[in-house]
Amino acid sequence: MESEKAKILPFYVLIDVSASMSGRKLDEANQIMPQVVDALAEAPILADKVRFCVIDFGSDAQVRLPLCDVLDQHSSLPPLTIRGATSYAAAFRLLRSEIEINVKQLKADGYLVHRPAVFFISDGEPTDPEHEWRTAFQELTGYDKASGQGFSTYPNFVPCGVDQANPRTLATLIHPASGPKQMQMYLMEQGQNPADAIAAIAEILISSMLASGQSMAQGSSGMILPAKQDLPPGISAHSSDDFV
Amino acid sequence: MAAATETGPVEPAPEGKWQGYVDLYVVGDPGRAAAGVVPLPDESAWDRRDTVLDAFTLRDGRTRLVEVRAASVRGLAHRAYGRVRQDEYGYRRTSDGRYLVICVADGVSSGELSHKAATLAARWGTKWLAGLLERTEPADLPWGQFVRGVAGAIERYGRKLLRGREDLDAEKCDLREVAHRLATTVLYAVVDLRAHEGVHTAHVVTVGDTSAWVLREGGQWEPQEAVKNDGADVYSASVQALPLPPVTDPVPVRTTIRAGEALVLMTDGIGDPLGQGTGPVGRFLADVWSRPPASGVEFAAQIGFARKSFDDDRTVVAVWPVSAR
Repeated sequence: MESEKAKILPFYVLIDVSASMSGRKLDEANQIMPQVVDALAEAPILADKVRFCVIDFGSDAQVRLPLCDVLDQHSSLPPLTIRGATSYAAAFRLLRSEIEINVKQLKADGYLVHRPAVFFISDGEPTDPEHEWRTAFQELTGYDKASGQGFSTYPNFVPCGVDQANPRTLATLIHPASGPKQMQMYLMEQGQNPADAIAAIAEILISSMLASGQSMAQGSSGMILPAKQDLPPGISAHSSDDFV
Repeated sequence: MAAATETGPVEPAPEGKWQGYVDLYVVGDPGRAAAGVVPLPDESAWDRRDTVLDAFTLRDGRTRLVEVRAASVRGLAHRAYGRVRQDEYGYRRTSDGRYLVICVADGVSSGELSHKAATLAARWGTKWLAGLLERTEPADLPWGQFVRGVAGAIERYGRKLLRGREDLDAEKCDLREVAHRLATTVLYAVVDLRAHEGVHTAHVVTVGDTSAWVLREGGQWEPQEAVKNDGADVYSASVQALPLPPVTDPVPVRTTIRAGEALVLMTDGIGDPLGQGTGPVGRFLADVWSRPPASGVEFAAQIGFARKSFDDDRTVVAVWPVSAR
């Protein structure tokens, strides 16, 4: 396709598969993509434009589903499996390289690519050294428009925490953290069942995807997150300055 | 149901004497939206039509001068989400019969009243432009003043429509507040119906991403303006649109068309899939528009072709000169 301008909205779902995720939490995480597929089957306008990629991360990070049209593929998502520690750095580095490769390829194919959206789901603290994952996150999200320095196709980053995830750590991952296109963080409320919280996050991901599709139809290129009053029970939304 | 078969020979139904069918044009992968969208009405605008179309010939006495086809088709996304068609077109022939004035307007998606801006630009704008041509040559038209005039008319109309709103002061609010509710790209063209040695001159002015093309003989698409979003890193949906005045006065493009060619004016709903005109959509439209389609229905169906992920409103006005014999 040499000269056309089809629009693409890429979504990346990053899922923690460290040891603590085993059991019902992992079962719910494995249900995220089937639910996305069901929702897209009912939303043909959006289904023609959305692409999904699934990356899981434990001691390392792996692409479980390369960026694709999830209704187009007969290939099903390989089930997520538990792999030890929680390396945020590995997740951020792999995500950056995937985005870079995917956007380059989509543009070479003539698509207009909307800014990628990332849902990052974790149940614990990173186990790698702080300076390491912070550097990796900076390389993923840092971009100076004036000088053109950094990663111009940086994603909109939505961290989601359940169970033992540290709100203060996750809050620093909200990107953009301020401004008109500010993203949010979603947290499991105290005392909730973490598996239910993951199911609720899947719901937020889907409603965000549907709302973003509708807003594209209304001329916006931004990503839309659900309003606070529309959140499923057991989950709260936060902006980057909610934790100090 | 088996019992019903015992009632004796059934009279064959009389053979129907009719023919013809309506089918969807498809270019490449139609995507899921083409067949899967359930069209919803926009319950805030019952009188806004989904599709409008026209087909006519302009004559001088008994001599046919040009064939005109026009259609504006609501996009699949607007059908799916129950929103009006925001595109519009309009045209006028000047009272002396010399010129055909055309407008193609694309209401900016984010404004809930943008279709009204597009309609005003198409109807009032072409009327005003036709009036100007009674005393001005097309080459001397004061385009900057004209475009600012259309912008002013949209602003006044917008303030009137917004009266009584609680969320803003319709009279005093900033122009940007008005533009946020209703805005439109515009393209105006003036076609000289009097050919010189078989050649018709056309002047085209655009504000925003509505585009003018000449479909040359042999199927080559020739853009009459820069093509949008070339070279951008990440796609941006922002467009230039009235009532916000353009930063600089629009510069008219002068072009010519002759029999066997067509002047094709279109909104980005069809301009985007057309791209540079060299892909499958360009070849499809060049094939079906190598001569004027037989009817407006045919023309609208062609504009409404299915192609994956292209779901915006689409509007085209096309002019085919008729060869003089």
